[in-house]
Amino acid sequence: MHADPRYGAEVLRRFRQLPGAGDVTGDEAVIRARADAADDGARVVLSLRTEHGVVVEARFRAYGCPYFIAAASWLTERLRGASRHEVAEWDWREVAEALEIPPSRFGRLITLQDAARAAAAAWPGATATAV
Amino acid sequence: METIYLDNAATTPVDPRVVEEMLACMGPAADFANASSVSHGPGRRASARIEAARSAVAALAGAAPEQVVWTSGATEANNLAIFGAARFHRPKGAHIVTSRTEHPSVLDPCRRLEREGFEVSYLRPGPDGIVEPSQIEAALRADTILVSLMHVNNETGVIQDVGEVGRVCRARGVLLHVDAAQSAGKLGLDVIRDRIDLLALTAHKLNGPKGVGALCVRREPRLGLVPLLYGGGQERGLRSGTLPTHQIAGFGAACRIAAAEMTEEAARVTHLRNRLWSALSTLPGILLNGSEHRRAPGMLNVSISGVEGESLLLALSDLAVSSGSACATLRGEPSYVLRALGRSEQLAQGSLRLTLGRYTTADEVERAAMRIRAEVERLRAIAPPMAAAAG
Repeated sequence: MHADPRYGAEVLRRFRQLPGAGDVTGDEAVIRARADAADDGARVVLSLRTEHGVVVEARFRAYGCPYFIAAASWLTERLRGASRHEVAEWDWREVAEALEIPPSRFGRLITLQDAARAAAAAWPGATATAV
Repeated sequence: METIYLDNAATTPVDPRVVEEMLACMGPAADFANASSVSHGPGRRASARIEAARSAVAALAGAAPEQVVWTSGATEANNLAIFGAARFHRPKGAHIVTSRTEHPSVLDPCRRLEREGFEVSYLRPGPDGIVEPSQIEAALRADTILVSLMHVNNETGVIQDVGEVGRVCRARGVLLHVDAAQSAGKLGLDVIRDRIDLLALTAHKLNGPKGVGALCVRREPRLGLVPLLYGGGQERGLRSGTLPTHQIAGFGAACRIAAAEMTEEAARVTHLRNRLWSALSTLPGILLNGSEHRRAPGMLNVSISGVEGESLLLALSDLAVSSGSACATLRGEPSYVLRALGRSEQLAQGSLRLTLGRYTTADEVERAAMRIRAEVERLRAIAPPMAAAAG
């Protein structure tokens, strides 16, 4: 893949290598949460394995622009070690800053935040369910 | 890896034979003079080059040399045709007919004319991209003064039956303007046979230089136009400004080459395009946009479900291809042309325009098809299914 000045190096690396893409396998203690953007078809599924109250493995599936895919990849790393509360409180601005995502794409990042909140809601023992 | 260039509908490389012709008009020892300065030898030599190019452009369009008015490209030619004809002929009426899939250099002038009090009918093509002559005929009114229809669509490559539309328009006394930017040098043109009153051309789509084009204007009977530019009165007062001798000479050379090689080249490029489609068509969820049979030789436009357009373009950054037209891509919106053909927003957004040209090889076509298939499969593998449901 050739360099493209429209995207930062980290966005390009993640888009090219897709670290964290796929599904966490197994049924025990695996949370699956999905969020869909209302307007442009972007969608993400997070799958998280938890042990002792924290995320030990996170993977993603995503359909969307390169920034969205790279941000989903980044989020899987960010959520490792996170408690339910930290997953629920995760804010999309963190990835916007980390990957230098332009403001025109912020709307899609909120979809990632929705997925994280849905995952927290589906946490084993939580009262709400995933969206 | 070298980039495979499959964006010849956006622009083409200048043929080295054309470059040679242009260089002969640029250096101090070359024919660089102002073609209007016919009082001296260098000016007369430049003028002779301009007139030789005029004959070559006219021959490609089936026109007489005196019909050719030089412009800066097809955008200016389309603007001159539409504004010029509408404003000159306004006493006869203020209704214009065009289609929704025209190039922005036609649609934007039409929208501007609406603000000047003109009424414009924007016809919707069928799902195959074709605007039927019967649709044009049905849209004509007593106050219709102009029909504007492109010969070959710049996104889909679909060919319109401008000959039949010309017959319809001439019978009703309505002017016909045809944007032939994508067809010149690839398909036969004949403004007299097809009763085309105004024909827009550009050099850079047929391996000529950027920055030069032409408008062929009907001479018999003479067609009135209001100019866009005033100044030196060049081009019979229709387009003032010093003529760019090297650009025009290059355009002329490009037309001569295209005319001489058109039949063979069209067959070669059509064969390559069919191979490309054949290699891609087995990909699940791929759709051909526009008529399969009525399309210009090197043009293919496909929509691919389950992949997002921007991501696909980035993944294919070793291919120079476009998603929708280059002009539309700048706006970052799904192609209005594909939307007019009934494609969903996502399919329009997930479209690829692959356009082959004079320097495209069979090996490039094979490699491009393999790359597209591989990246589509890679992106689909990480995409969640369409239906929104709890995971």
